[in-house]
Amino acid sequence: MAAHGRGQRTLSFTMETVKGDAPPPSVQQPTPVFPVMEQKPLPLTGGEEAEYLLALKQDFRGAMRSLPCFIQPLVTNRDVERYSDKYNRSEQMDKLLDWAPDWKRFPRELRVHVRKPARDSVSAAVQSPPPPQMKKKGVKDKEEVLLKLESLEKKEEQETSEDEEGETKKKQEEEEAEGEEEYDEEEFEEETDYIMSYFDNGEDFGGDSDDNMDEAIY
Amino acid sequence: MTAQEVRLCGLLLQEHFGEVVEKVGTHLLKSGAQNLRTIIHETGLSVDLVKKSLCVLVQHGATTFSSGRKGLGSPTEYHTSCDRILRILRYPRYIYTAKTLYGDTGELIIEELLQRGHTTMSSTVKTVADRLTQNMAEGRTMDYTEVSSTFSKLVETHFLQRCPPLPGTPATPGTPAAPVNTAPPTPESFPECYKVPSVTLIGRGKRQLASEDGEEQRSAKRAKMDPETHGDEGIYWQVNFERFHLHFRDQTIISAVANKLDQTSSEIVRTMLRMSEVTTSPMATCTKPLSANEIFRSLPPSYNILRPILDQYLTLLVDDPMEFVGKAGESGGGMFVVNLHRALANLARATLESVVQERFGSRSARIFRLLLRKRHLEQKQVEDFAMIPAKEAKDMLYTLLSQNLVQLQEIPKTPDYAPSRTFYLYTVNQLPTARMLLQNCYKTVANLIERRLFETKESKRLLEKSQRIEAILASLQASGAEPEQLTEVEEMITAPEKQQLDTLRLHINKLDSAENQVDETIFLLESYINSTNASS
Repeated sequence: MAAHGRGQRTLSFTMETVKGDAPPPSVQQPTPVFPVMEQKPLPLTGGEEAEYLLALKQDFRGAMRSLPCFIQPLVTNRDVERYSDKYNRSEQMDKLLDWAPDWKRFPRELRVHVRKPARDSVSAAVQSPPPPQMKKKGVKDKEEVLLKLESLEKKEEQETSEDEEGETKKKQEEEEAEGEEEYDEEEFEEETDYIMSYFDNGEDFGGDSDDNMDEAIY
Repeated sequence: MTAQEVRLCGLLLQEHFGEVVEKVGTHLLKSGAQNLRTIIHETGLSVDLVKKSLCVLVQHGATTFSSGRKGLGSPTEYHTSCDRILRILRYPRYIYTAKTLYGDTGELIIEELLQRGHTTMSSTVKTVADRLTQNMAEGRTMDYTEVSSTFSKLVETHFLQRCPPLPGTPATPGTPAAPVNTAPPTPESFPECYKVPSVTLIGRGKRQLASEDGEEQRSAKRAKMDPETHGDEGIYWQVNFERFHLHFRDQTIISAVANKLDQTSSEIVRTMLRMSEVTTSPMATCTKPLSANEIFRSLPPSYNILRPILDQYLTLLVDDPMEFVGKAGESGGGMFVVNLHRALANLARATLESVVQERFGSRSARIFRLLLRKRHLEQKQVEDFAMIPAKEAKDMLYTLLSQNLVQLQEIPKTPDYAPSRTFYLYTVNQLPTARMLLQNCYKTVANLIERRLFETKESKRLLEKSQRIEAILASLQASGAEPEQLTEVEEMITAPEKQQLDTLRLHINKLDSAENQVDETIFLLESYINSTNASS
């Protein structure tokens, strides 16, 4: 091509310089991001059909967001713990469990057994001795356990293969939770180092002494 | 798989399936077929997330898996293609077509299948019946049989098809392996593709009571655990996009005829296309020849035109330069065909011409049309034929050349390409130009989506506030509050904020609507390019 030594210019410039006409000025920089348009674009076609299609599109997008196939990673890095966290987390767990595809149509390696983190941590607690675990958890754990219990109740019926396991676990958890509750209640109510049962608030004091009037009161 | 297509696919995956699936999907698109380990390693996501994303992609037909290239022992490889993901742009059109053909029931069936990917007939029927019952008047419910019959009709007209069964699982290593064919089998290569299974579905749709959320969830989950089998386990259905595309193509041809000629000729073409629906294969160049007598008999009864008038109309259609209808013989009063591929080519050409006209003006469009018709012209000839002064013609040609809509062809007179002794001819090639415009369309839609996401992100705070207030209003109204309380809550949004929300809503609607319309052009250009692939 005759334009070899001329860089990015197109061939017609060469042709025109040969013929003597002035070539148009060559552009040395990228075109502007929003160039001025000589012709304005046509307006969009309106009409009933276009509006209905628009509504369908927006509805579809909204519906897809609420389906279980919309996967959002759990945002683990939070600068500040928020009150809404515990509600958001249980919502996400609901979505993941709703979808049970037919695993025969997928390769074996893709099979994921959804283990709820709540279940795992509670089952881990079953195996380890309760007291050290309980002492580490604070007040918030009591509410978390109640939430987990509620969600576990709901998910109970879903796990057909793990039905019996679930029931036994649930019973264990209930017992544990009760034990936890009692334990936590004690600790919660006083928030001191003294154990509740040692405290004698003196209500029985007057009643005891009324029985034996013979002995003098010193 | 061009860069624009990958970018658009990424945005569509992000909007409909979330960012995790988008990451996995774009990675697979860029790097071809890969196995699970490599995907996990290269995307850097956790194993669980990658597995779930792949499940979602396979469920929706965007990804196929096959045993590895090195034989049976190697891990399964996953392959994603752009085409299936780009169909997401056309979902509203599919749903609307189903509504026009089969009513609300058809619309909901197609919508369910598009949302879930692959489902069984029984689950679809149940969900659709429930949804229809929700919208019906109090006390009325939708029967399963009605929904099943609409489903069967959709299958009979091939709008729905069965998902192809998987190749033999590697669970039986003892048996000799069947030869692995390189091309994945199409759904149509299986004989039972369009057979409706005999399903026992007796019942009515359930209306969800307005109870607390917890109860609803529990009852819904208990319903899912119903161990009813309906006799169609393992038979999954998917939407047959090709059939919808054939329908769209027919619609486009009919409306083009109506625009160019008149209503009666479009009715004639519609009748011809309807008669040849079942006899024409999807890749056919033209329909089977139909005699004028047959056409006359099959015209809809509302159009009682006389036989000689019909003949005149047919002659007009044949003589029209758009070449929609051709004459294939003289027997039976004249044998006529609808030239499908040529109609698509002409429609694509009209699209290219209108693009040039809208972007560069009608005189540049005149030059463009001239070059399309006359193939190769020198600059002097362009000026003469287009009747445009030399200087302006030169400018316009250079502009078109810099935009790559027009190409320059040199024909040397001497072995050294001396400029004074070479012919320089301007030319337009329709197919490469159509491909280039198609890529422009993909880029346009990607830009529209990005702009929409940007606008939404800018006003995120405002949108959240308005959503919260709407939720409060709804709950107040449900519990029967006084009008003063409602107005008080409504006034929490100030007037300028309301205006801002209105402009935002207007912009988002415009951008969405624009995406739908660009998709119509995309469909036309894609059909044209595919038709040339098939015939060449």
